[in-house]
Amino acid sequence: MTESEQKPAGRSVSVDLPRDVANKSDKDRLLRAIRMSLDTESATVRTNTQLFNRGRYRAVAEFPDYDALKDQARRIKENSIANLPELIQILKSSVRGHGGHVFVASTAEDACRYILDVCHWRAAKMVVKGKSITSEEIHLNPVLERDGIEVVESDLAEFILQLADEQPSHFLAPAVHYSRERITALFKRKFKTDLPLDTGEELTRFARERLRDKFLYADVGVTGANLIAADTGTLMLVESEGNIRLASFLPPVHIAIVGVEKIIPTRQEMAPFLDLLSASAVGQRMAVYTSFLSPPLTDPAFALPGKPIKPREFHLVLIDNGRMRMRDDPVFRETLYCIRCSACLNSCANFQTVGGHAFGGECYSGGIGGSWEAGTSKIENARFSELCTGCTRCVNQCPVRIDIPWLNENLGDQLNRIEKTTPLGNALGSVTGAAAEDRSAPISKMFFGNYHYFAKWGTRFASISNAFANSGKAPVADGDDDAKDEKVGTTRALMERWLGVDHRRALPEFPKQTLVQGARRLVAPSSKGRETKVVLFADVFTNYGMAKRGLATIEVLRALGADLVVSESVPEGRAALSQGMISTAKQHARRATAELDSHVSDGRDIVVVEPSSLSMFRRDLHHLVDSQERFERFRSRTFEPVEYVVRMLAKSGRTPQQVFDISKSKVGYRLFFHPHCQQKTIGCAEPTVELLSALGFDVVTSNVECCGMAGSFGYKKDFYDLSMAVGADLFGQVVQQDRNGGARQLIASGTSCTEQLHAGFERTVLHPMELLASLLEVQESTAKLEEEDKELESDVASVKRGRKELSKS
Amino acid sequence: MVDLAATFEENAMEAAAMVWRCERTPLALRKAVGLAAHKARGIVLSEPEFLGEPLIAGLRGLAGFIPRPDDDELATADAGVTEAFAGVASTGSVCVALGRPLVSATSLLMPLNIILLAKERIVARPRDLFDPDCLKGEGLKRNLVFITGPSATADMGPLVHGVHGPHRLLVLLLE
Repeated sequence: MTESEQKPAGRSVSVDLPRDVANKSDKDRLLRAIRMSLDTESATVRTNTQLFNRGRYRAVAEFPDYDALKDQARRIKENSIANLPELIQILKSSVRGHGGHVFVASTAEDACRYILDVCHWRAAKMVVKGKSITSEEIHLNPVLERDGIEVVESDLAEFILQLADEQPSHFLAPAVHYSRERITALFKRKFKTDLPLDTGEELTRFARERLRDKFLYADVGVTGANLIAADTGTLMLVESEGNIRLASFLPPVHIAIVGVEKIIPTRQEMAPFLDLLSASAVGQRMAVYTSFLSPPLTDPAFALPGKPIKPREFHLVLIDNGRMRMRDDPVFRETLYCIRCSACLNSCANFQTVGGHAFGGECYSGGIGGSWEAGTSKIENARFSELCTGCTRCVNQCPVRIDIPWLNENLGDQLNRIEKTTPLGNALGSVTGAAAEDRSAPISKMFFGNYHYFAKWGTRFASISNAFANSGKAPVADGDDDAKDEKVGTTRALMERWLGVDHRRALPEFPKQTLVQGARRLVAPSSKGRETKVVLFADVFTNYGMAKRGLATIEVLRALGADLVVSESVPEGRAALSQGMISTAKQHARRATAELDSHVSDGRDIVVVEPSSLSMFRRDLHHLVDSQERFERFRSRTFEPVEYVVRMLAKSGRTPQQVFDISKSKVGYRLFFHPHCQQKTIGCAEPTVELLSALGFDVVTSNVECCGMAGSFGYKKDFYDLSMAVGADLFGQVVQQDRNGGARQLIASGTSCTEQLHAGFERTVLHPMELLASLLEVQESTAKLEEEDKELESDVASVKRGRKELSKS
Repeated sequence: MVDLAATFEENAMEAAAMVWRCERTPLALRKAVGLAAHKARGIVLSEPEFLGEPLIAGLRGLAGFIPRPDDDELATADAGVTEAFAGVASTGSVCVALGRPLVSATSLLMPLNIILLAKERIVARPRDLFDPDCLKGEGLKRNLVFITGPSATADMGPLVHGVHGPHRLLVLLLE
C-alpha cells in the first residue's frame, strides 16, 4: 500500500511530524497526533502489531503451564520490588566483585553526567548503542552529541529513527510505523544514493555495511538490559539482530543503562522470563539471541590494526528517575513489574490503529506507557493514556499480570484532579451526585461518568428525548466538514460543544419502558418448586438502553425454571470508572452491592446482561470495595446470561434442543457473533458460541480485540475518527463473511458493540438472549408487551413526522 | 519418551537454522565442516571445551583455516566454528558458553556460524539450564548466549536473515 492509499478521503491531511506531537501534555497535541497517525502510519502499524499479536497467541498456547509461569514471574517481580533497596546493595557488591563499576543515578541528568564523564575519561569519540528505551528516557543522545561525541544507533529500527529524527513508536519495534517503501525513501533522501534499495534484504545490507565499521571503531558500547540478577550481576539481554551482542563485546568500554526495577534477586529466577519474554513480545519461541552476561567479559577487547588494545571496562548505571517514588505508591508500584514485552501494545485495538506516536509520549507508549511517562516525568505527559478505553484485552496478555486499565483509570483520576473546578462542573456534580473529589473532571467526563442520571431523565421523556437527541445528526463521511456543520441540528451541536458527544454518532434510543418497568408488568410464575434463584441486575445500559435484552433474559431464565427477580437500576461504577472518576465509581459500587446484598443473602445468583457491568463484579470491584471478602461475595455469584443458561441446562440434565427449537429462528441459521472485549477477558464469551453451535447455528465469531466503541469512547468528538478506524477491522470481517454465502445475522453481547455495528451496517443486531428467547414457546406476557411496544413505536413515529413537518415549515 | 534431538531439529529448522546430523568422528566432522564452508575465504575455530581436541583436530587442516587470527582477520573471515554448551529442544536454540578464546567472535562476526552440538547435551526447555541439577549446574555460572537461528530483523519490512550477526546458522548435531 502506498502512502497516498493510506490517507482517508475527504479530509485534510495532518502536517505534523512525530516529534512535533511527541509531548502530549496538552490535549491539542494528543488530537493532532491521532490525526497524524491515522493519516500516515495507521496501515503499517496495524499490519505489524496484528502480526505480533497473532504470533503471541500462537506462542503462548504452546506452554502447557503458561498461567503457572505468569504467576511465578509475578511473584518474582513483586518480591524484587518489595526488596529493591536491599537488592541494589547486593547488586553493587556483585558487579564490583567482578571488577565492574556501579553508579546509581537519582535523576536522568545524573545518569547522563556520569556516562559523559566515563566517555571523557576514556577519550571516547564514538559511542555505539544497542536498543535501550531507558537511554531514550534519560535523553542520553543529545547530551553526548552536544559534547562532540558521535552516537550511533545500531538497532536497525533505532537507526531509521535516528535518521528520521523521530521518537520510538513501540517498545520492541521502535519503527513499527515504517513501511519498507518509507524506509527506502528515507535512506535515498538521507544518503543521497542511487543504489537499489527496494527490498528488505537490500536495505538491511546497506545499513549493516554502514554500521559494521562503527562497531569496530567504537570506543564505548551502550546497552540496556531486560533483567539483571543481584546475586551475580548477570545482565539478561534479548534481541534478534546481534547488535547488542556486538555493542557489549567489541568496544573496550561497556555501559549498561538499567532501570532499578529490572533487578531481580537471583540469576536462577531469570528462568521463567526466558520463556515468557520472547513469546509475549512478538510470538517467538525464543528471540534469536538471549545473552546472560556478567561483565566485564574475560575475552580481550577487540582492536583492529592501528588501534590500541585497551583493557575491558564495565559500568552499570542504575536509573531511579522517579522509580523509587513509584515504588512507594500503592497503585503505580505495579508499573515496576513491567518487563516491557509489549504484549499490551500489540493486543490493544487503539494501539494497533495509531501506534505509539499517538498512543504514546516522548519515550513510552501504549497502555502501560502512561504510567511510565507519569512516573519518570510528570502526570501531564501521560495524557495519551486517555486512549486506553479500559477494554481490558491487555490484562490477560500481560506476562506479569499487571492491571493496566486500573493504572490508566488512576492516571485519569489524577488528570481530572489537576483541572480547575468550574461552576458548571460543580452544578453537574451536585445534581448527579458525583463525589466532590471528581467535580473538577471535564464536563464531558462528568456527563459520561454519570450517564445513569441523564439516562433516567431521558427515559422518563423517551419520545421527546429520542426525537431531539438524533435530530440533525449529519450523515457520516460526506467529506465536507463545513457543509456537515451546517446540517447539524441545534441539540447535537450543543451536545457536541458542551458534552463532547460527536454529532456524527447516532445516539442509542431510550426505550419506551425501562427493563425494571417492563419486568413489573410481567406476571412472574410461582416460585414454588423453582430451586434456582436469580436476581437480574438491571444495569444502567440495559435498563435505560436496551431493555428488550433484559426482558428476553427474564423470559429465557424463567422458562428454564429460575425463580427470578429484577433489582432496582443503580450504577455499579463502570461509567464513572471509565472516566477516571474513582471516588464516584466507589460510591456507585457501594450502592450497587448494597442493592444486591439482600438478594445474595437470599441465596440468589446475580445475572448481568451488559458485559462491562458484569466485568465490574467479576474483575474491577476488588479495587472499589472495602475487602477482598466482599469482592469475592459478588464475584463468585455473578454470571453472564448465556453462561447461566448453560449452567442451568447442565444442572437440570436437559439438552439445549429440549428447550430451544432452532426451527423457530426468524433470522436464519447463519450468525456472526461479536463478543464484547471485557466479556472475553473474564472468560464468558465461549458459552454463547458453544450453545448456539450446539443448537445447530453456523456461528462465525469476530476475532478483533475490540470493536472500537468501548463504552463512551466512540461517542466522544475527540475520538470518533479513531473509534471508526478501529471499527473498520470488525466491519471488514462482517463484509468478508457476508460475501461468503450471504448476510449473516449479527449477534452482539455488548451495548456499545451493538451501536458500533449499527454505525457500520444498518442492520438489526440481536443479543444472544433475544435470539434464544425467540426459540422458546412464545410467552403470553412478552407477546403482549411487544404489542404495546409496537403501539408506542407508532406514537414515536408520528411525533417524528410532526417534527419533520415543523422543521420544513 | 520425547526424542529431544528430533524436536530440536524440527524447531531449529523452523527458526531458519540448518541442522545436519553428523557422526562423531574426526573424519565425518571435517567432511561436514569442509562441505558447509567450502567457499569460505577464512575459517576460524573457537577453542572447544567438551568435544576434545582429537575430534576437532582435523578441522585445522581445512583450506582457509586461520590458526591464530588477529582482529582484522576475525572481522573479514567468512565462517566461524563454535562449540555449543547445550541445545534446547522446545525452541531449537543452541546455547553457547562465552569466555573461552574466540567463542564470541566465531558465533557473531562471520556470515556463517557452524555450531557443534553434542546430542546428549540437548535439554527439553530453556529454563532447564537454570536448574542446578542440569548439566552440573553450569548454566547458573557462566556467561551464555542462547542462539535461535541466524540473526534477523523485521525492521526493514519483511523478515530478513543476516543483520549484524551471521546470515546462516548451521548446527552439526553430533551423534
